Amino acid sequence: MPHNNEDIIAIERIKQKDKKALQLLYDKYAPALYGVILRMCGNKEMAEDLLQETFVKIWQKIEAYDPNKGKFYTWAYRIAKNLTLNTIRKKEILIQNEDLSVYREKENAEPQLDVAALNGAVGKLEPHHQEAISLVYFKGYTHREANEQMGVPLGTFKSYVRQALQLLRESYDKEFILIGILINLF
Amino acid sequence: MDRKKLLEEGFLEKYLLDELTDKERQSVAEALASDPGLRRSYDALEADFERMAFENAITPPAQIKERLFDTLENTAKQGPSRGWLWAAASLAALFLLSSFWMYRQWKASESNFEALQEQTTVLQDRLNALEENYLLTNQRLKTINGPQTIPLILHGNNLVPNARAVAYVNHDNKMVVVNAQGLPELPEDKTYQMWSDVEGEMINMGLLKTDEELITLHYIDQAESLNITIEPAGGNDHPTVEKLIAYVTL
Repeated sequence: MPHNNEDIIAIERIKQKDKKALQLLYDKYAPALYGVILRMCGNKEMAEDLLQETFVKIWQKIEAYDPNKGKFYTWAYRIAKNLTLNTIRKKEILIQNEDLSVYREKENAEPQLDVAALNGAVGKLEPHHQEAISLVYFKGYTHREANEQMGVPLGTFKSYVRQALQLLRESYDKEFILIGILINLF
Repeated sequence: MDRKKLLEEGFLEKYLLDELTDKERQSVAEALASDPGLRRSYDALEADFERMAFENAITPPAQIKERLFDTLENTAKQGPSRGWLWAAASLAALFLLSSFWMYRQWKASESNFEALQEQTTVLQDRLNALEENYLLTNQRLKTINGPQTIPLILHGNNLVPNARAVAYVNHDNKMVVVNAQGLPELPEDKTYQMWSDVEGEMINMGLLKTDEELITLHYIDQAESLNITIEPAGGNDHPTVEKLIAYVTL
């Protein structure tokens, strides 16, 4: 999805405190961000609050976004990721202070949401490539945390990520060429 | 950091995922700004990640959007900084009040402290006076009560029939102390004076004030008797023998 003019114009309008422009960006990006947040925290209610918080922050901090340094989505993703990780950490601290049995009951009462499965090109990758991408992108792990989670050396983990990204790239390029051919055909 | 290292070490991914330290982030940003090829790689990476996120998008419940814009609407109505202004104003008021209260407390403490300091000074003075008094009394007591002290009573003669003075003489430490309170008061231009008789010569020992309990006088060696005369105020070089009112032999 290339850097497009619609986004740039909307962002300029948001800087002028135009809420309609924020609605445009919400409609476009909220589902992608919600997919990340929900996978990261695994709790629907929390994810809804965090999505709202993310857009409040986008509204308040839009002056800090510089289109020359990267895509709007990347910037928004970082906001969502940081908010989510901070909230999870706070919750973990609270749970640590609570009775462990209460925690276990809660865990049983809230079954894990079935959102872990990945769709699209990434969903078609080998399981270890999928997991590597899932950990760093959808779970918010650092490379170091993620390689421990997978139980492979850091170097191996890095090459998994690189291979996975390479495969994604090839897959998207193929689609792009296919679309090109189709457009040329019709 | 060169391009090869940035690519092989996965710095672009970490930059995108916001995993780098401030210093690393800065150096990747600089590399991206100066190396168009690297920038293209990063743009592609961003695009891939974004596309992957879109492929894994989940539509959030519609009420989230409503809730979001209600929230923004409410904060906008209040004005972006009104809440903060109120909070700041409240804090300022609180600060002012507490400062005033603390100033009052401070002033009160200060005046309390001054009063205490004054009291302390008064007490210190009194203590000094008492100590001085005590030392004097103690010294006098030792003087008049010591085993070597001889108390001598001087009775008034017919000039002052009921007069009485007591002299305490200590030959060891050569001291004479007199209580002259038993002598009648004199007019202002007169004074009592005490003399020692040494081989017929009267030697001045000093003036006797009737308002003092104990008067220390000059001790004169070889004195045979102590004598009291009435003299003009300020004392005399030679005794006025006609005005001798009392004497005692040593």
